[in-house]
Amino acid sequence: MKPVWSYSENEQVAGEVAAAAAEIAKSLSAEAVAVELGSPRTGLSGKKLVLTGLGAPAATPELAAEAISKAARQLGPAAILVGATRDGREIASRVAAKLSLPSLSEAIRLSVEGQTLVAERSAYAGKVLVRVAGPLPCVATVKVGSYSKLPSGPGEAEEFSVGSVVGKTKLLSSSEKPRGAVDLKSAKVIVSAGRGVRRREDLSMLEALAEEIGGALGCSRPLSSDLGWLPEEHHIGLTGITVKPDLYLAIGISGQLQHIAGMKDSKVVASVNTDKDAPIFQASDYGIVGDLYQVVPAIQKALQARR
Amino acid sequence: MKVAVCVKHAVDETELKIDPGGKPQLDGAACKMSTFDKNAVEEALRLKAAHSGEVVIFTFGTPDARKTMKEALAMGADRGVHIVGEVGLLDPMRTSELLAAAILKAGPFDLVVCSEGSSDVYSGQVPPMVAERLGMPYVGYAKKVEVTGQSAKVERSLEESVETVEAPLPLVVSVVSEINEPRYPTLIQIMQASKKPVTEVKPEELVQARSSPTTAVLSMLVQSTARKHVMIEGTPDEASAKLVEVLEKEGVIQK
Repeated sequence: MKPVWSYSENEQVAGEVAAAAAEIAKSLSAEAVAVELGSPRTGLSGKKLVLTGLGAPAATPELAAEAISKAARQLGPAAILVGATRDGREIASRVAAKLSLPSLSEAIRLSVEGQTLVAERSAYAGKVLVRVAGPLPCVATVKVGSYSKLPSGPGEAEEFSVGSVVGKTKLLSSSEKPRGAVDLKSAKVIVSAGRGVRRREDLSMLEALAEEIGGALGCSRPLSSDLGWLPEEHHIGLTGITVKPDLYLAIGISGQLQHIAGMKDSKVVASVNTDKDAPIFQASDYGIVGDLYQVVPAIQKALQARR
Repeated sequence: MKVAVCVKHAVDETELKIDPGGKPQLDGAACKMSTFDKNAVEEALRLKAAHSGEVVIFTFGTPDARKTMKEALAMGADRGVHIVGEVGLLDPMRTSELLAAAILKAGPFDLVVCSEGSSDVYSGQVPPMVAERLGMPYVGYAKKVEVTGQSAKVERSLEESVETVEAPLPLVVSVVSEINEPRYPTLIQIMQASKKPVTEVKPEELVQARSSPTTAVLSMLVQSTARKHVMIEGTPDEASAKLVEVLEKEGVIQK
């Protein structure tokens, strides 16, 4: 069987996708190969295929897709798995279109059934789990955070020259987004703020609660996208980040499905909302109907009383 | 400037009913314009306002998709092209092939605007595939689009960075929802939308045979996250003390 390729421009995600590729390769009795562009960067253990001769660093997803497609045309992998980052989605879609291959997306689990690759993925804002099959050879994107990263270690790297790649888009500049003090994706406890918070300065009350409880502060879409009270990387939901903390404390969040999609895999969910019919309570283990301006200080007090 | 916008008539996830067997009832399910597509229409209208020209809406869907088309026209688009047919669930290769063929036929366009992903399945695959098929450059996840002469400068909002990218026209972009605030059509605009021209085409008039193997949906099941749904009563102080107690018992907060 031809090898199973994995690729991501992000080192952490590259490890996750390599883990998915290793599993698929095992079912196919094939080899898993991590693709890298230009030079090895990831430090992943296992077999690597380094695409060389690109001419310039493949800094845009357009160039990455071109390089991977050129190599795939010659080497014909059984499957190409790409991390579903914003750039990764573009890369995978372009590769599928260039090679006329079936394309699966946002897989949280992948398996092989007969001669098809089967992806499990969420749809309808997380309400439904869909299983989709694509006949091999096939392209699939793997949802970030779905697989545990393959360990790093010494690997065996093979070079393959694809020749120069040219693109139409030009990267002029790149600037880091401001980062929160704590990485939400690895936080054990998340205090999340919603539209029930009336003023930007009131977020300090929730920050204090997050600090007391040893957690990080997240928010629903209106607070980051519409009001700009918190940077976009605090936004938990379908178009933001997906989190799975031990405790998700939703404060003044109504619970639109698109928000639920980003936090539904939390271990325990507790919510505070003035509206007893707010949909967030349907997605919660514990609920308090009340004014967050009274309840949050009270929770703070109760936490402090334990010390 | 001629701007094409791709919009999807998507199942309204908030109205989706589940049958007793745990399967979503997709037949006859209520549909709406995919939430983020409104941002794509809005951006196209703003570009038209700045550069003059025309905004043409493209959609692929059942006859019911005419509602979504009408909504986009009511927002201010000039005309529409409706590819009338059943849309395969999670089949972006087919959808992109048809949209690209329709855009090519109705073109040429300077810009094709899409949203970052649809509110129903959120794959984000159709826009780059449309670009590939049209042989146009593509810039995804745009939070700002500036067109000057024959090129565009676009700010891309990525997970950890913001990139500024330059690309020549004609160009395909996908926009993130924070790029703008979509307008609400007025009653007069809604009434006038019915009079705007919409061309209907059949898939087979655009693409003879699909160019890639078909993906197949094997099963669909409701994801149940069993929650306890315990409502804690009492004054704010009483309820909070009880909450902290149960969270400790759950072992999710440290003593």
